[in-house]
Amino acid sequence: MIESSKTKYVQESDSSSSTSKTKYFKSKKKQDRNGKILVYIVLILVSVLLLSPLVWMVSTSLKPMQEIVRFPPTFIPETIVWQNYVDTVQSFPFFKYMGNTLIITIFVVLGNVLSNSFIAYGFAKIEFPGKKVLFALVLATMMVPGFVTMIPQYILFTRINWVGTYLPLIVPSFFGSAFNIFLLRQFYLSINNELIEAAKIDGANHLYIWSHLMIPLTKPALITVGIMSFNGAWNDFLGPLLYITDESMYTLQIGLQSFSNQSTTQWNYLMAGATLVLIPSILLFFFAQKYFIEGMDLTGGTKG
Amino acid sequence: MKSLFKRNILKYGLTLGSAALLLSACGGEESASESGAATEGEDGRTTLEFWSFWGSGSRRDAIEDIISDYNESQEEVTVEYVYQPWGDIWTKSLAAIAGGNAPDVIVQDINSVKQRAEANQATNIQEYLDEDDISENFYPQLWDTVLYEDEAYALPFNTDTQVLFYNKTAFEEAGLDPEDPPSTWAELEEAARALDQGSGDNWEQIGFYPRWNLGADIWALNADNGVSWFNEEGDIRINTPEKVEALEWMLEWQDYYGRDTINQYEAEFGSGVSDPFISGLVAMRGQNINYYTNLLENAPDDFEYGVAPLPEKEEGSGHWSWGGGFVLEIPGNTEHPEESYDFMKYLSSTEVQEQFGMNSFDIMANTEANENLQSHPELDEMGHRIYELADANLDVTTITPVPLNAPDFSSLVNAEIDAAFLGEKSAEEALNDAQEAVENLAE
Repeated sequence: MIESSKTKYVQESDSSSSTSKTKYFKSKKKQDRNGKILVYIVLILVSVLLLSPLVWMVSTSLKPMQEIVRFPPTFIPETIVWQNYVDTVQSFPFFKYMGNTLIITIFVVLGNVLSNSFIAYGFAKIEFPGKKVLFALVLATMMVPGFVTMIPQYILFTRINWVGTYLPLIVPSFFGSAFNIFLLRQFYLSINNELIEAAKIDGANHLYIWSHLMIPLTKPALITVGIMSFNGAWNDFLGPLLYITDESMYTLQIGLQSFSNQSTTQWNYLMAGATLVLIPSILLFFFAQKYFIEGMDLTGGTKG
Repeated sequence: MKSLFKRNILKYGLTLGSAALLLSACGGEESASESGAATEGEDGRTTLEFWSFWGSGSRRDAIEDIISDYNESQEEVTVEYVYQPWGDIWTKSLAAIAGGNAPDVIVQDINSVKQRAEANQATNIQEYLDEDDISENFYPQLWDTVLYEDEAYALPFNTDTQVLFYNKTAFEEAGLDPEDPPSTWAELEEAARALDQGSGDNWEQIGFYPRWNLGADIWALNADNGVSWFNEEGDIRINTPEKVEALEWMLEWQDYYGRDTINQYEAEFGSGVSDPFISGLVAMRGQNINYYTNLLENAPDDFEYGVAPLPEKEEGSGHWSWGGGFVLEIPGNTEHPEESYDFMKYLSSTEVQEQFGMNSFDIMANTEANENLQSHPELDEMGHRIYELADANLDVTTITPVPLNAPDFSSLVNAEIDAAFLGEKSAEEALNDAQEAVENLAE
């Protein structure tokens, strides 16, 4: 027993010698590398999984209908039909609808970013009586499903003669949304009160503090809100469906639906259209990603 | 700092101000062409708004031609066509009717006319029919769907029926006569066995599977003399011996190919993108007759197929089939029901129905139009065959309007039928339970 433990001790002291030390580090390096490889494999698998519907969409958008209906399906198109894209763009006023969608989206993003950050600032940094109750009330609106308010809201907009205009789609975004207010408020709470106190001593009012301190400091959160409202407005189907009555004012999402009929769906055009509609969202992602990182840097440099 | 602040206030103020301006500009521009109910145009003509879901392709071209002909044919009314997305058109019309903002004429689902009539969402058009009765122009079962308490609330526009499509090349290869499709369930089974290629979970060709592209309800009414879950008097007829037999028969098919095989294929082409019939995997399939347009557009040129009525349970039991369709309806509380009715009457006239059918291969509600299309000079032989078959099939086609006392009954029945296909219940148990559940609902 003793002997064996002794030998063990010797072995252990051996292993702590300089030669085995480098060995230990080597294996750590190896371990790191193995770990990294594993992480990358998982990441690649997951991204392939997430990208495959996208690839499938693009692949379908390039096939002729005869190939789309074939079973078993082909993954890479045997005959590539670029004409699908031309036909798609010509079969309804694609660029007009894109312009319409863009107008709505720009105002919705603007409205959401400005109003929600303004409201959130108030809830995070200004003390006033009834604040907690009011905030709870705002959050409570998240519990009401959209379908419950759909018809009353529609009737309201009919009464004020807004149906048939973009106003029902745009104006509500200038009056805050509970989720975004909550998100931004959490961000503002993490900013030091001293900073605001200092600005106040320098003579700044709330509007100045909001526009010159809070907005630059919370860029990442604002960009998040912006991206979410962009996607929401760009892809919105039910809103334009209900409120737009003139075909020349339709949005892309409604235009795309014209490819699915009662008995046939023109998958080639539908997918080509869907691909085109997706491009701005993808561009926005790459564009905003850069700003997102910049915004993170700014948060680090709060002293400036 | 102050000046900086001022400048920014100005900047934000300008942005917001211009936004507000633009918004109000959008609003102003649109309130001129106010949506919803009809308006008097500058030229003294009444403008009618007409909604349907024909958004692209031949149907859209056809309806636009038809409308422009109408606008030119008279001086009183201008019809404006507005496309609404398929399926969602009814969500929108529901909101528009509730908001008092409805268009003048809508293409609505044929099975729910009574419900809208009961809820005052549709306008009673009986007075116009009393003046000039055109009900004889339509197939009788279609006309029945537009009546609520014996008064009309809509005009039928088009319809459809379920038939059997079969692959003629596969028939020849299997030694079957491609001009003699199966006409009874027994013959269907026999043909399917001859067409089957493969076994276990490896099939190169599947002869036939009853539940692909047809619901269990259709085979149930096919077996039961055309009586659906509710009969014409509104009695619940779910667990009749004929329907139990039909369900047992469908379960036999599932056992034959194996539940796993069926599930696997349903997962592979359940989305409706790949077409197993065109691809030659399935040799016969029961389906809506308007599947013909898919075949025209998507099948290779050398694809040989035939159409036949659905096989009958046994000789003499009847080739009963099921159909749906659409009607023309004036929403409740619109301003120009008389003008709207005149336009609807025009849309259901023989020539217009012929024109629409010729371009879309829809089965029209007007009997004479379908008869004319059977020999229409602009259609080919297959086109004539389709209308001939449709016209004959409509004699044995049941339309199943949603019962007013149990609008959501079908989810109860389907749950029981699913239980039978999952092997949890026998056919008889499942239909007995469904009968009881629907009876409770209807009470």
